[in-house]
Amino acid sequence: MAFRRHLPIMLFGCAAAVLPLALKDPYYLGILVFIGIFSIATMGLNLLMGYAGQISLGHAAFYALGAYATGILTAKYNVHFLPALAAAIIVTAGIAYVIGMACLRLKGHYLAVATLAAGEIVFICLNASVGFTGGPSGLAGIPSIEIGGFSFDSDFKFYYLVWAVFILLFILTANIINSRTGRALRCLHSSEVAAAAMGINVTTLKVQIFVLSAVYAALAGVLYGHSVTFISPQASDLMFSVKLLTMIVVGGMGHLWGGVLGAALLTLLPEALSAFHDYELIIYGSILLVIVMFLPGGLMRGFETLYVTILKKVRGRG
Amino acid sequence: MAEIILEAAGIRKEFGGLIALNNVDFGVRRGSITAVIGPNGAGKTTLINVMTGVTPPTAGAIALNGLTISGLKSHDIARLGIARTFQTAQVFGTMTVLENVMVGRHTKTGCGMIASALSLGRMRREEKAIGDKALYYLDMVGLGDLAQQPAASVPIGTQRLLEIGRALAAEPSVMLLDEPAAGLNTQETRALGQLIGTIRDRGITVIIVEHDMELVMDIADEILVLNFGSRLAWGTPEQIQANPQVIEVYLGRDE
Ligand SMILES: Nc1ncnc2c1ncn2[C@@H]1O[C@H](COP(=O)(O)OP(=O)(O)OP(=O)(O)O)[C@@H](O)[C@H]1O
Ligand SMILES: [Mg+2]
Repeated sequence: MAFRRHLPIMLFGCAAAVLPLALKDPYYLGILVFIGIFSIATMGLNLLMGYAGQISLGHAAFYALGAYATGILTAKYNVHFLPALAAAIIVTAGIAYVIGMACLRLKGHYLAVATLAAGEIVFICLNASVGFTGGPSGLAGIPSIEIGGFSFDSDFKFYYLVWAVFILLFILTANIINSRTGRALRCLHSSEVAAAAMGINVTTLKVQIFVLSAVYAALAGVLYGHSVTFISPQASDLMFSVKLLTMIVVGGMGHLWGGVLGAALLTLLPEALSAFHDYELIIYGSILLVIVMFLPGGLMRGFETLYVTILKKVRGRG
Repeated sequence: MAEIILEAAGIRKEFGGLIALNNVDFGVRRGSITAVIGPNGAGKTTLINVMTGVTPPTAGAIALNGLTISGLKSHDIARLGIARTFQTAQVFGTMTVLENVMVGRHTKTGCGMIASALSLGRMRREEKAIGDKALYYLDMVGLGDLAQQPAASVPIGTQRLLEIGRALAAEPSVMLLDEPAAGLNTQETRALGQLIGTIRDRGITVIIVEHDMELVMDIADEILVLNFGSRLAWGTPEQIQANPQVIEVYLGRDE
């Protein structure tokens, strides 16, 4: 049962493992690294938004916090990567806890605005603390990730690291969704009153999932910082939060694969449309609008429906 | 004869200037079926909401087994053994019918986020037990065949039954039903009456808010009549049917 549930991700893992061997152009390897990183961030946000139904427009802040935390510790203080990672997770989780406690009693638009504001505060702090973060010009010289003497110092190695982390998190996340806690989470989406009536501590659960999703974003941020060796406060701006949100909505809210699909599409699209860079916001907005209006379940569910329809047709004939 | 399991004393609930409940007292006997009736807006749902911690009473106290529960949070009250259904069905629409009933097991199980993420043996055993119990209670309400359907896709009457199944899965000592027969036809209502009898026979104390007088008179041991938030009468179905005040404001009303 558990094995069958994880079969798709295992197959996906095998495909991901051989893909770089077939790729000649290192440029594409770099893009795949980004897709992996964004997939990790959207997975966490999807838990929060798609499954638990709580919006956040501030997740870029956690992404940036993760990147800055290990970046500063490894680049400026020569801390080893793993302790730096632990520190990044603890710091982000702590800040997410405070923000979650403050914001999550709000609902809908209010929650959106509150998380947006929290994200902006982090953005402003990162910009202002020049001595620590390098301020608006950013933090350069972030070293490669080194674990037990092994250095992930090429795109090739980094690719495997990112997708291994992704697959591991995917399995853990799928396990959570199909558990007592996961069901409790999904309850919040439909009715908080009914969830509470069944004995679910709604406030605690919301904060828990907010913190967990922030940690996913932080992990993605850590990977990002070490892969491009540079991080600036821009990584924590509203535009990036909106981008993550768009990825989920396009791919499929409450659909784990949907997040990956959305991350892939919205990473590839700007590459393909780089000539239209100035219109990025308009393009994202339009995509969001079209999906919300015509495919509210996202592309992944659209494909599923299509697949089922075709299957029925074929069976009907045969 | 039997002891009181749930006792309300001087319950008052105000919404701004509106008095939804006014000094309501009653005591529910363990293992009985108590019906709460009254015209629209009498405060029946508010009474259930107050008893389940959805909203705290403005004044007064509610005790379960002698322990004060008014003022506690909904989820804590659920833990103490009160389960409920809703007047406007509130199923978890994105989940399957079976999963909805599995949620009912929440208070009786304990695996958290970490055990779940790592799919520990303890968690897998618990999941199996949750699934088994849920199927059992789903069958009890007659929805076993719909287990894998998305809950949002089943008709509203079925959603009401599903809510009862979900509440049953919590194995509560008291179950509160808010108009479970609304929208059911005569045959379905009769089946519901039997189901409620079965629930009572399992030792669960039932409090039911219901407009269907035939059903109420058929199954209730005791009836509480509310009118404009006040207790108008309390007694057996015979006493209530013979009560001139009740006849005037409620039973004798032209429908
Ligand atoms: N949350 C609320 N805020 C303000 N007023 C409320 C609230 N809930 C209920 N009321 C008011 O309290 C009164 C009692 O409502 P309640 O829903 O308890 O009635 P009811 O007896 O369940 O009626 P019905 O048979 O129509 O379900 C009504 O006047 C209603 O408008
Ligand atoms: Mg009502």
